[in-house]
Order: sequence, then C-alpha cells, then structure tokens
Amino acid sequence: MLAGQEDFRLTLIQWRGYVFLDRIRQGQNRYRKGQEHIEKWDRVTGYILLFIGVTAAWSSTQLSMGKFKHPGPGFLPFGLSVILIFLSFLLILPRKERDTPSAPFWPRQTWMRPFLGLAIFILYAILLGRVGFLITTFIFLLLWLGGIERIRWGTVASISALVTAALYLIFGFFLEVPLPGGILSW
Amino acid sequence: MGEILGMFQGLASGFGIAFNLTNLTFALIGAVLGTAVGILPGLGPAATISLLLPLSFKIGSPVTSIIMMAGIFYGAMYGGSTTSILVNIPGEAASVVTCIDGYQMALKGRAGPALGIAAIGSFVAGTIGVLGLTFVAPPLAEFALKFGPPEYFSLTLLGLLMATLLGGASILKGLIMVVLGLLLGSVGLDPISGAIRFTWGFYMLQEGIDFVTLAMGMFGIGEILYNLEKELKTELVTQRISHLWPTLKDWADSKWAVIRGSFIGFFIGILPGGGAVISSLVSYAVERKVAKHPEEFGKGAIQGVAGPESANNSAASASFIPLLTLGIPGNAAIAMIFAALLIQGVQPGPFLITEHPDIFWGVVASMYIGNVMLLILNLPLVGMWVQLLRVPYAILAPIIVLFCCVGVYSIRNTVFDIWVMGVFGVIGYLFRKVGLEPGPMILSFVLGPILERSLRQALLISAGSPLIFFQRPISGVLMGFLILFILIKVFMGLRKKPQ
Repeated sequence: MLAGQEDFRLTLIQWRGYVFLDRIRQGQNRYRKGQEHIEKWDRVTGYILLFIGVTAAWSSTQLSMGKFKHPGPGFLPFGLSVILIFLSFLLILPRKERDTPSAPFWPRQTWMRPFLGLAIFILYAILLGRVGFLITTFIFLLLWLGGIERIRWGTVASISALVTAALYLIFGFFLEVPLPGGILSW
Repeated sequence: MGEILGMFQGLASGFGIAFNLTNLTFALIGAVLGTAVGILPGLGPAATISLLLPLSFKIGSPVTSIIMMAGIFYGAMYGGSTTSILVNIPGEAASVVTCIDGYQMALKGRAGPALGIAAIGSFVAGTIGVLGLTFVAPPLAEFALKFGPPEYFSLTLLGLLMATLLGGASILKGLIMVVLGLLLGSVGLDPISGAIRFTWGFYMLQEGIDFVTLAMGMFGIGEILYNLEKELKTELVTQRISHLWPTLKDWADSKWAVIRGSFIGFFIGILPGGGAVISSLVSYAVERKVAKHPEEFGKGAIQGVAGPESANNSAASASFIPLLTLGIPGNAAIAMIFAALLIQGVQPGPFLITEHPDIFWGVVASMYIGNVMLLILNLPLVGMWVQLLRVPYAILAPIIVLFCCVGVYSIRNTVFDIWVMGVFGVIGYLFRKVGLEPGPMILSFVLGPILERSLRQALLISAGSPLIFFQRPISGVLMGFLILFILIKVFMGLRKKPQ
C-alpha cells in the first residue's frame, strides 16, 4: 500500500493541482515568489511568441489603425501585438538566475502515448465521414484501449461495443444529431 | 422596501421554474455530473461544461441548460474534496489545500468526519453564497446600468489582470495567455467597422474562431493528450469509512471555520478574476492564522478541511454575480457558461435580470435546490462515489475524446470542425507542456470583444483622451484598484530580490 502511494505521487507530480500542493508543503512556493526559473523551453516559447507577435503586428498595420480620436479595426490588435512582443522578450532574455539544466521536452519516450492518441484521433476524423459513426467509433475505441492502454482484447472489444452503443443512443437517438451513416446507411 | 419585496417575488417565481420536472431533472443531472468530475482527477468543471456546450441547444431552453451547467460547476466543488481526503489527490483544483489536512485525518482513521464536515461545510457555504447572490445581484445590476464604455473597459481590464495575478502560475505566462486570447478573439469581423481581420484568405475564419471548438480543443483534447504522457493509475482505498457525522467537538472546532470560509469565499468569488481556487487557498491561510493550535495544521486539523471546502463553494456561487449582473465572467468555467448563454441568444449583463427574469431567478432558485441535492449525494452516498474511482482514466480518456468529436460535429454537422478542434487540441497540449495555462486565454477570448468595443467607444466619447478612464468616478476607482494591484505586485517583487 505504501509503495503504491509513493507511485501515485511520482506519477501525478506533474498534474496541475498537485504541483501546487507540493510546493505549498515544501514551503517554497516558487510561483508565489515570482521567481519563475527560465528553462530552455521557455526561451523557445518566447521565440515562437515573438514570431506570432511580429506577424500579428505586421498584419494589423495592413488594417486601418485610425487615430486615438477614432480608433480603427487595427488599433487594438496592433497594441496587443506590441505587448506580446514585449512579453516574449521577457521570456527570451535571460535573467539573473542561471539557467537550470533543462529537461528534454519528452523525457523517456513520453511522446509515444500522446502521439498514438493523436494518430488515432486523425484516423477518426478521416474515417468518420466516409465509413460512418458506428464502425469508426468502434475502431477508435479498439485502437485506443488496445493500442495505447494495452488492455486485454476481449475486454477491449466488449467495452468498445458498449460505449459505441451508448454514444449512439445519447447523440443519435436522444439528441437527434444526424450522425454520419457511412457504409451502413441505406 | 419595494425592492426587497421584488426580490422575494422573483425568487418565488424562480422556484416555480426550478421545480418544473424538466428543470429538476437537469439540476440533478448537473449535480451528479459535477460530483463525478469533481471526484475524477484529470477532468475539471471547465472542461466538462465545454463538452456540453454544443449540446446546450439540444437540451432545451436557456434556463434548463444553464441550470445544469451551474450544477456541474458548484457540484464539482463538493466532489473535489472526496479524493483529496481519501487518496490525497485533488479531484479538482479548488480542493488542492483540502489534501493537506484532509488526508492526514483519513490516515488517522477520521476520514468519515472529514468527508462529513466537507459536505456540510459545502452545503452551508453554498447556501450562504446563493443567498448573497439572491440579494446582491439585483441591486448590483441596477448599479451597473450606470456603466458606460469607460467603466466596462476598466472593469474588464481589471478582471483580466486579477485573473492572471491571482491565477497561481507564472504571472508572465498568464499575461501572455491573456494577450494571445485577445488576439485570437479579434480574428474575423471587426465588431464596429465590419472590417475583416487576420483571416489570411481563409473564408472559414470570417465569422471568427468558434468558441466551442476552441474551448473543446484546448480543454478537452489538449488535456487528454497531456495526461496521456503519464499513465494515471488509480488505486482504490480499502479503508472503511464510518462515522460520517462529525462529533460535537468537531462541530465546535469547525463551525467558525465554515462561517469564515463562507464569507471569504463569497467576497473573493465576487471579485472579477476571483474564484474558487484562490478562495480555498486564502481560507486555509486564514484558518491557520486564527487557529488556537496552529501546530495541528498539516497533521489533520479539521478546520483545514472545513474552511477551504466552505470557501470554494460559496466562491462558486458568488462568481455567478459578475456574470449575471455585469456580463463579465471571472474564471474559465464561468466563461463557458457565459458562452452557453450567448449560444442561446441571451446577452449576459445588467439587463439580464430585467429582460430575462426567468433565467436569472430560475437558475438562482435551482442553486438552492441543487445544494440540497448535493448534500444528499455527497453525505449518505459518498461510498458510491468512491467506487467511481474504479473506472480507470484509461477508459475515460477515449470516451471524452469521442464526446468532443461528436459534440463539435453536431454544431454544424461537418467533420471540418473536428479537424479545427484537433489543431487547437495539439496547441493546447503544447501550451501545457511549456507551462502556459489555457484558462486565462479562454477568459480573455470571451472578454475580447467587450474590451475592444468599450475601449474604442470610450475613446470616441473622449475624443482620443485616455484620461477618460480616470476622470469618470466609477471607472477611476476601478483603474485605481488596477494600479494598486500592480504596485503591490511590483513592490512585493522588489522586496524579494535583495535576498
């Protein structure tokens, strides 16, 4: 039981609320003190935001800015873009604190599961209109539960069938959403 | 005197609406769903309400759907404490501090009283919050009728700033998200001149970015992808929960904590940018300050459960006040309800109470009923909810994704929207990876049009002088608060530096 709880802490330590709790407990609530440490990824984020800011600023200048007396459609977007550019510099420019050694963006193959999830999502979007709701949803659940979560196939098949039926009942029947029939439509 | 009589009449008619069988059913569905998402970690009330946005039309009248969504929001505050106490995992962000003493109580075999006081405190505070809503909202709405564009601009700005300053995570990143949300909100037709902005030739973007698609992508898909990185394992507590009813000593220890929590929650919830999360943190800090035995905190002090759990509930009720009287949502979950009202063609704002008394009073009355339902759901039936933890997140995740897909599909019956939602989902996932919280962005996306319209109209009135925001009394006071908050933050930042 105790070992299990330890496991819990480790797996959930990244979870939003939990990070916060952990810091309260340690009595060194970094966020509250406003000393966010800059990681490498913050800087990368800063560059991307800078790019967005510059693009938006340029795009706003193509609109009529108007004057202070009569602000036009480009007025606020331009102001916002300038603020965004300023804020992104705050992310990019190094601060007093030395950079902490930055963790890899996806430590230890953690990219695998989100990417698989995304791939199955994309497949769902492609097939939904063509093959229809019932079959696509069933396949989606099969792939997700069997492929990502690695639950036993027998369990997977029954859960998938059950959930597909339930969703069809809720959306197709009660809420009368015209779900794509696909190859099953006649 | 006549006004108070009017409120009672309104409330009476509201109960008439809320006791309608359909509305009662949906209040119950909201309470059940709210408790469920409160208990399940990894799915918050904002995300859940966003999942239901596309359905709000199909559910029925505006009153019914808002009654349900409100139920989810305050119901989650009840459910969140259960997992905090039993397994030391906050089911919901506003119950984070409950873990500290709640879990310690559970370890000492006092899980029952902890759960009991959390539910009772929630009920007392929730009811106090709704009472406040009943009697504060109508006069506030009347007062808000005096608001012109400069006042709205100052108020919106103050709300956005407070949401980032109080939001917990990095202020810089919060501000970035606010600005990004405002920029995203300006895509499409300009509300005043009708000029087309930032569409880059995409015809589909002319109507602007659809809020529902954005919210479901950012909160639904983004959250799931992010959680997929970690294999969330839920472990079931085998401990038997007994003696839910707190002892007389527990009562004596916690009654003032409940009362204090209720008032702290109410006043923080009413603030623009305030909300349940902050109020629970403040309440915990206050309880520790005023406690006779502060050394017990962190070791299972019942006040540390009673205070925050009460505070988050009355804050949840109170945060409906700025929404229903000013039309300014204070946090992401309320922003979803704001969007739901707009989808139904109801403009939230100072005219809501007079133009749609049925919605206002119906929802308020349903909140009294909902709190009673939740007390029953969470006190005698708490054992049933713990079983919910048996449903592994692994199975829940794909169902949520499917819900998002079908939901977004149902708005316009086009697969295209699923793709758009997917793109926002990936963006939301990457945002979370680099520590950018989507909450402030959703809020500012919703407030963007209000902010822009009021800014431009105000500048038209003043012939270009930004002094108008400071010269008009109400707006001046709001701006004063804004500057005060910034100064406090800067001052606190400076004081920390020399160390």
